[in-house]
Amino acid sequence: MASTRDIRRRIKSVKNTRQITRAMELVAASKMKRAQQATLAGRPYAQLMAQMLASLATRADGAQHPFLEKREVKMRGILLLTTNIGLCGALNANLFKLVGEVQGAAKFVAIGRKGAQYLARTKRDLIAEFVVDDRASFNDVKVAIEFMTERFLAGEIDTIEVIYPRFKNTLVQTPLLRPILPLTNVRDFAATLEAETGVCGALPRDDREMLFEPDAPRVLAALLPFYVNRFIHQLVLSAKASEFSARMVAMKTAKDNASKLLDDLTLEYNKARQAAITQEILEIAAAQYVAA
Amino acid sequence: MSLTLEIVTPEARVYSDTVDAVVIPTVEGEIGILPGHIPLLTQVANGELVATRTGSGGSQYLAVGGGFAQISGDKVSVLAEHACSEDAIDERAVEEALKRAQQQIEESKNLDPQQYEHLQNLVSYSGVQLALKRRSR
Repeated sequence: MASTRDIRRRIKSVKNTRQITRAMELVAASKMKRAQQATLAGRPYAQLMAQMLASLATRADGAQHPFLEKREVKMRGILLLTTNIGLCGALNANLFKLVGEVQGAAKFVAIGRKGAQYLARTKRDLIAEFVVDDRASFNDVKVAIEFMTERFLAGEIDTIEVIYPRFKNTLVQTPLLRPILPLTNVRDFAATLEAETGVCGALPRDDREMLFEPDAPRVLAALLPFYVNRFIHQLVLSAKASEFSARMVAMKTAKDNASKLLDDLTLEYNKARQAAITQEILEIAAAQYVAA
Repeated sequence: MSLTLEIVTPEARVYSDTVDAVVIPTVEGEIGILPGHIPLLTQVANGELVATRTGSGGSQYLAVGGGFAQISGDKVSVLAEHACSEDAIDERAVEEALKRAQQQIEESKNLDPQQYEHLQNLVSYSGVQLALKRRSR
């Protein structure tokens, strides 16, 4: 049996770990709340935008825009959304698994340090890395998105896809590969979005001819980039909510494990202490017996 | 007959109510919308949105910034970058933001175009907010 001093030392270290993980859990919990609120608050907006896009695309058929054009895919452009720091369970590992399954030539852009490190390690074609803080403000994210859309318009990449952890609830985040551009079938896309966000505030039907001001191509040209920016931003918010949820759950497990270990160690320590005392009494008694 | 007006920003659903008439600032100028309006999709500019209720309701003024508006079957949906009602405008905070933005524009000669655009937009939206707040006094 280990000496009491060794056990005491271990108890101390486990206690420290528990304290740290508890603090991290609390921090993640409060950040998670904010991130979840941000994601949920943004949903009606994304929803409404999808509806507008759908009604625009169905009524302005034949409108030409590079974002809508289907072209041969020679080089995929993939945006990988990961966390900046670890300690969030299997979140990043699951995303990396998805990256490993990517077929064909692809260029990567990473938001989040972990993703950039992974891509560099696996010798993927990483063209840019952006770091976005916990608040994931629109302006921070926009820089990354505009970087990609520029490449897309220049023909350097032929698609824009996003790999991100989709936030379902606190316990479940599913890694997902989501094609964003080109938008070849807007109506399908709007329908999936509607199903996903669960907000069924469909616009009242109106079969009269729709009017566009200034005119359809110009509205489309304004709405599409706006839409892509906002939509990807929404995905980033979702990724952030996933990150903090995963971190909170991971830290909670770590804390619970530490507590359990602490219980076991305390029991062992008490046993060892008791054994030492009994031993001592025995020795004294024996010594007296011999002396007598 | 009345209209359902809904204003949504990325942060929240700012306004959702039935009204009798709406005036929306668009890139082509202000447009007034009454029930039975033809379906329309238009670009919203920085400016004042007026929601009017006939009878006791009176008019409500909101400062909206950049976005889109869709009218479909008596439902007016406004998708705006920012939107806040008259009461929610904090005059001093807006003034400070305006000053900061203007200073930034003046100080840095070679801003990148996106940053510049963002600041310009901020300046113009702040202007709208201030005009709205001051007029109401």
